[in-house]
Amino acid sequence: MDDSSVSHHNGGQVGSQIGVSVNNKQNEESSQSVQYSIPGILHFIQHEWARFELERSQWEVDRAEFEARIAFLQGQRKGQENLKNDLVRRIKMLEYALKQERAKFHKLKYGVELQQGDVRPPPEEPPTEPEPAEKAQWKQGRQLIKQYLQEIGYTDTILDVRSNRVRTLLGLNNEEQAEDPNYRNNDNKFRERCGDSPINSLIRKYDYGGKEQRKGGVSTGGGYNEEGLSVQETAAVFANFEFLANQEMDMDEIDDLDANKPHHAPPKQGEEVDNEAEEVLNVLNLLAESEADGGGQGDECPVGVVGGGVAAAAGGGEADEKPLALGELAQLTVSNEPEAYDVAGANKESFRKTWNAKYTLRSHFDGVRALAFHPTEAALVTASEDHTLKLWNLQRTVQAKKSAGLDVEPLYTFRAHTAPVLCLAMGLPRSEECFSGGLDGTIRVWNLPPPTADPYDPYDPAVQGPVLREHTDAVWSLACAHGRLLSASADGTARLWAPRAARPLLCTLRDDAITAPHAPAPAVAADFADGEAAAAVVYRDGTMLLYDLETTQSFLRIACDSPANRIRAHPTLPLLVSAHEDRHIRFWDLGSGRCAHAMVAHLDAVTGLALDPNGLFLLSGSHDCSVRLWNLDTKTCVQEITAHRKKFDESILDVAFHPLRPYIASAGADGLAKVFV
Amino acid sequence: MADGTQILRRNQPGSRAKDFCRWPDEPFEEMDSTLAVQQFIQQTIRRDPANLEAILKMPEAQDEGVWKYEHLRQFCMELNGLAVRLQSECKPETCTQMTATEQWIFLCAAHKTPKECPAIDYTRHTLDGAACLLNSNKYFPSRVSIKESSVAKLGSVCRRVYRIFSHAYFHHRAIFDAFEKETHLCKRFTYFVTKYSIISKEILILPKLDDETPIAQTIGESEA
Ligand SMILES: [Zn+2]
Ligand SMILES: [Zn+2]
Repeated sequence: MDDSSVSHHNGGQVGSQIGVSVNNKQNEESSQSVQYSIPGILHFIQHEWARFELERSQWEVDRAEFEARIAFLQGQRKGQENLKNDLVRRIKMLEYALKQERAKFHKLKYGVELQQGDVRPPPEEPPTEPEPAEKAQWKQGRQLIKQYLQEIGYTDTILDVRSNRVRTLLGLNNEEQAEDPNYRNNDNKFRERCGDSPINSLIRKYDYGGKEQRKGGVSTGGGYNEEGLSVQETAAVFANFEFLANQEMDMDEIDDLDANKPHHAPPKQGEEVDNEAEEVLNVLNLLAESEADGGGQGDECPVGVVGGGVAAAAGGGEADEKPLALGELAQLTVSNEPEAYDVAGANKESFRKTWNAKYTLRSHFDGVRALAFHPTEAALVTASEDHTLKLWNLQRTVQAKKSAGLDVEPLYTFRAHTAPVLCLAMGLPRSEECFSGGLDGTIRVWNLPPPTADPYDPYDPAVQGPVLREHTDAVWSLACAHGRLLSASADGTARLWAPRAARPLLCTLRDDAITAPHAPAPAVAADFADGEAAAAVVYRDGTMLLYDLETTQSFLRIACDSPANRIRAHPTLPLLVSAHEDRHIRFWDLGSGRCAHAMVAHLDAVTGLALDPNGLFLLSGSHDCSVRLWNLDTKTCVQEITAHRKKFDESILDVAFHPLRPYIASAGADGLAKVFV
Repeated sequence: MADGTQILRRNQPGSRAKDFCRWPDEPFEEMDSTLAVQQFIQQTIRRDPANLEAILKMPEAQDEGVWKYEHLRQFCMELNGLAVRLQSECKPETCTQMTATEQWIFLCAAHKTPKECPAIDYTRHTLDGAACLLNSNKYFPSRVSIKESSVAKLGSVCRRVYRIFSHAYFHHRAIFDAFEKETHLCKRFTYFVTKYSIISKEILILPKLDDETPIAQTIGESEA
């Protein structure tokens, strides 16, 4: 609340404090006035200083925000330009394709070789960029199309094959088609590969795109499928195009016709396979493959504040719909322009990397409370209020496609908790284990299935390891170091475990200052400190205690203004970082126990905290829906990402760095986890 | 903090289990989140899990597709609880097939070709598959509006989910009863699928559960 009063005029507060109305600060500092007592003045100066510090940190936050905003807008503009160019190019291309088709159609229908070389663009479809020499332009366009088709691997032959097919359809020329069996073969082969001719594919694909766009309010000529295509045919091929749409995200749209590998053929898409009762779940197998296709990245927030911008613009319930409609196009703008966001860094030289959303992990039915990366692999575990944990292999689906934003299907679902799972810790490298703590008061040890496991393998009870049941209330925090596990629970204790030992509980850490009649404040979070010789535990009442793990006695007590939600030890420095309910992140000197730095880091309670393995950057998440990345040296925000939606008044619940690989992740009350690269 | 008057509906880390999600109800009209329907359903269940009528009373002007979808999400989520209990007792050695009465053997549809999975695998695979489908960005990209074609997919999920209840009922009765006593989930599910005619009544093979009102009968008729 102090924060909000910063803007008050100094004079008012001084007056009420010292009893004299003084408006000029210099007056007080020179202290000529007899009414002033030295302690009063000192107090005032101290007070003022604290306020200025606070103000300063707020300004810094604001500045970082504005910088991010500028970067976002710049990126957006560039993205829009790219989008525009891309669309213009598509329109041109389709026009050419259309004209060519019409020419052929005309030729076939009237049997005249007419105009083959000099079909003029029909008057009702003027070229997008009118030039005096239409003929030259048409040739150029034909050249372009040819070039595209050659890139795909289909040359003029195919075009001729196509015309043969049209003739057959029209019942015009059985004789011609019989002439060249080669063509026939090609034709079949081609049908197998593509389901249709490139031109028609293009047209229909575009038509599909047009539909999607119209939904989003952008209308791009959707009438192309009237060009001699049967409706059923079009419908049947839609499935195909959905994945085509996906394929084309990072490249020119036609290029990916060559991605039409047989295994992508429509029957395998499965969505139309109607097998009485079993159809739906059969599709599930294919979902990982096809999910990202249906218009693509949905509510993904590709970069920085982009998601926030979109969500804010779309507003409320419609937020889902809008980016979805744009789908791949939205993606295009972003993937084209990664460097535009570098400006976001207040400290460009030191940290040029900008994180972009890449994977959306959707499979939980309720808020994701915690996540932890695998110590070495591109895999992570999430823990949710839906009582389950899930294992995700980020590489599992990557090979299947080359698009930019991906949905990942979980590799395994861990079921054993009987209440929401609240916290998570990963074991040592090569131990292939992780630990989870739940509202049910248990801590569970899990043996991670191999990254090659199939989600629909038979159930293996050996995945469940030992269960630690000593806590008598919800377990809210777990930290693991060298085979020892540190837990903090709402029962007011923190405990140290050797999880797989015969007697796993090594010791219980209690606040001795609290005696019998009073219930101890719940422990909120704990982390190892001082090279694992000590444990830092924060409590709901704002206390922070440092325990010596040898003696189990506390040796340092710190009282914070506001209860902390997270505590993390710096990997190399004697420094603790805590995330607080009052929007602050605070830094504590481990030696003196003094607050080394405090900053207003978010617009709402700070809930998640992670340090990168080198201790250079800090990641924070908050109920204000944003994830922020901080330069630990300058304590400035280098990137802000709006990542999750709110459920009730909760939003982001956890953030994490991968210990080795360039991944960061956020977990949200909206049931999603997102991974950024 | 700045506004002590405003209720913050969140679980602060360190909350005791008994205080989890214990905040004053929020009127549905005031929920402005995209997850409002889920919030509303969970809030009503928390108030009284036995009050099926209240839980399944759809707010006015609510999109029925979304309403059904969110309820099915909630069912699948709570069914994790039953699956956890079954894991300890339903072994592939004893329950080699997914059966309820001996009349049918259900094939697990989670595989490329439907397979005779043991009951526990059927249960897990079905729930995992449902989680994937219901979270699919393709079929359910939004939680505020759902295509009619996607709503149609809820039916087959419901049929399979019901088999989990029926297997537990006929083969692991103690587990079923304990779970049902706590959650009223099967009763709620039956009420749900009958109220919205998602599953035909012949498939609902479980006897009416210890209840004075024959749910399936009354609801089914009034709706039909
Ligand atoms: Zn069984
Ligand atoms: Zn199966």
